[in-house]
Amino acid sequence: MTPEYALELRGVRKTYRGFALKDVTFTLPRGHIGGLIGPNGSGKTTIIKLIMNLIRREAGEIRVFGLDNRKAEVEVKSRIGFVYDVPGFWDDQSLDSQRRALGAFYPRWSDETFHRLAREFALPLDKKYKALSHGAKTKFALAMALSHGADLLIMDEPTAGLDPVFRRELLKRLSALLQDEGKSILFSTHITSDLERVADVITFIRGGEIVFSLTRDELLDGWAVVRGDEQVIRELDPGLLKGLRHRAFGVEALVSDGDAARRVVGSRAVVDRITLDEVMVLMAGENRHAA
Amino acid sequence: MLRNALRKDLLLNARHLWGILPWFVWVAYAMSEPDAGRMMAVGAGFIGSLMATTIAAREDKLRTSATLASLPVSRRILVQARYVVAYVVGTATYLVVAAMAAVLPWSVQDSAELFEVKTVLLTVTLASMAIALLMPVVLRFGLLGVLVFLGAFQVVGVVLFVALEFFGMRSGARLFFGTIERGVVALYSGLGQAGPIVETAVIVGVSVWLSFRLSVVLAERRDL
Repeated sequence: MTPEYALELRGVRKTYRGFALKDVTFTLPRGHIGGLIGPNGSGKTTIIKLIMNLIRREAGEIRVFGLDNRKAEVEVKSRIGFVYDVPGFWDDQSLDSQRRALGAFYPRWSDETFHRLAREFALPLDKKYKALSHGAKTKFALAMALSHGADLLIMDEPTAGLDPVFRRELLKRLSALLQDEGKSILFSTHITSDLERVADVITFIRGGEIVFSLTRDELLDGWAVVRGDEQVIRELDPGLLKGLRHRAFGVEALVSDGDAARRVVGSRAVVDRITLDEVMVLMAGENRHAA
Repeated sequence: MLRNALRKDLLLNARHLWGILPWFVWVAYAMSEPDAGRMMAVGAGFIGSLMATTIAAREDKLRTSATLASLPVSRRILVQARYVVAYVVGTATYLVVAAMAAVLPWSVQDSAELFEVKTVLLTVTLASMAIALLMPVVLRFGLLGVLVFLGAFQVVGVVLFVALEFFGMRSGARLFFGTIERGVVALYSGLGQAGPIVETAVIVGVSVWLSFRLSVVLAERRDL
C-alpha cells in the first residue's frame, strides 16, 4: 500500500542548551509542497536536520514515505534530494569531480539530467567550487539534489542568496516537478512571498514548537487581520486571537477565523485578508499574543 | 557502497594527500645515505597513513560532513572507507619509497631490503597503531580533535622537556627516549620470528578492531 504521507513527524524532541524542540508533529501529504516558516532560531533547520538524521532525535517518530528515517536510513536518503542552507562541498575540487564522486551513491542518478540542469543554471563544471558565487553554489546544490530522481526534496532556505529572476524560475520548476512527476517538497524560508506562490501546506514554528500546520487556503482564506480600537479587539473570542500588535492608529489582531471576527466586530473594525508576512510579524513580533 | 565511499575519498581529497610531497623530497635526498632506505620506507608508510587519517578533519573544515551524512550510505560504511583509505595511502607511499630506492641514480639502497617481512610488518604495526589511536579522535572531533590531539602531545613534550632538563633528570630523558628506541628495535627484531609476529598481529588486530568499533559509535552519535 502506498503511504499517504511523504513525511510524518510525531512528537519529535531535541534539546540543546538554551533551546528545545518540543513534541513537533506535522505531516506533508504526497505530491504537496510544504513550507516551513518561523523566526530565526525557531527550529526550522533543526527539524530539517532531524529528518535527514544529521542530528539524533531524543523522542518521537519520523517517517519518510512510511519508512523510519533511522531504521531505513539508506533507502530514505536515496529518495530525498537535499539542499542545505550553507551548501558544503569540496572547495578545491571542480563541480564535475564532485558530480562523479557523489552521484555514484545514488541508484537513480542521471548524468543527463545533471548536465541539462548545469546548462540551464549556467554552471561552469570545470571550475572549482570555491570560485563560484553564493548563488551559483546554491544552484549547484540544487542541480545535485534534482539529478537523482528524488521523490522528496528537502531544502533549507534554498532561495536565500538567489536573484529574484532565478528564484521565480526555481519556484516554477518546483511546481512543475510536482505536477509532472508527483514529487513532494519541504522547504524552509524567510521569503514568505515564495511560500504564497507555491506552498500547499504551511507550517509555522516558534520557539521550538509548531504553532500551526495548515493548508495555504485554510490559512490565507480563513485567517484574517482585524484592525481597530483596542476596545473592539477585546470583544473577540480569545481562542481566535493568534497575535497582536499595537500601532499608532490602534491595534492589529491576527485571528484564526475571519468570518467569526467579522460577525463580532461588524463595521467597528476592518477585517482584512492576511499575507504570510503579516502572520510572521504578528505571531513572531514582540507584542505577540499567546497562540 | 564501500567502493563509492573509497572512490569519493580518493577523488575529492587527493589534494590533501599532496601534503606528503615534502617527505618524498627528504626521502630522495636520504637515498644516498647508506641504510636509510628501510627507515624512510617505514616512515613513509606511517606518515601516509597518518595523513589519510586526517581526511575527516579536512572535510570537517570544509563543512562537507553534513553533505556526506545526507548521502544514501550509512555512517558505518563511511568510517570503514576511512580506515581502508588510510591503509591504501600508507601502502602507496611505502611503494613510492621502494620505487625511489630502485630508480634514483644516486640511491645506494637495496630495494629488496624494503620488502623484507620484518620491515613490512613494522610499517604495518606502527601505521596501524597511529590509525587506531587518531581515527576516533578525528571522526568525533574533526579538525579541532586533530589540533587538540597534536597540542596534547606538544604539551606532554614540553612538560617532559622541562621536567627532564631543569630538574636534573637528564638520565631520565635518556631512559625515556632510549626505551622507545629499544622498543622499536626489539619489535623489529622480534618480527622475524613466528611467536612475536602472531602476538603483534593479535595486538594490532584487536586495537584496530576496537578503534573501528569506537569510531562507528562516535560517528553515528555525532550531531552535524
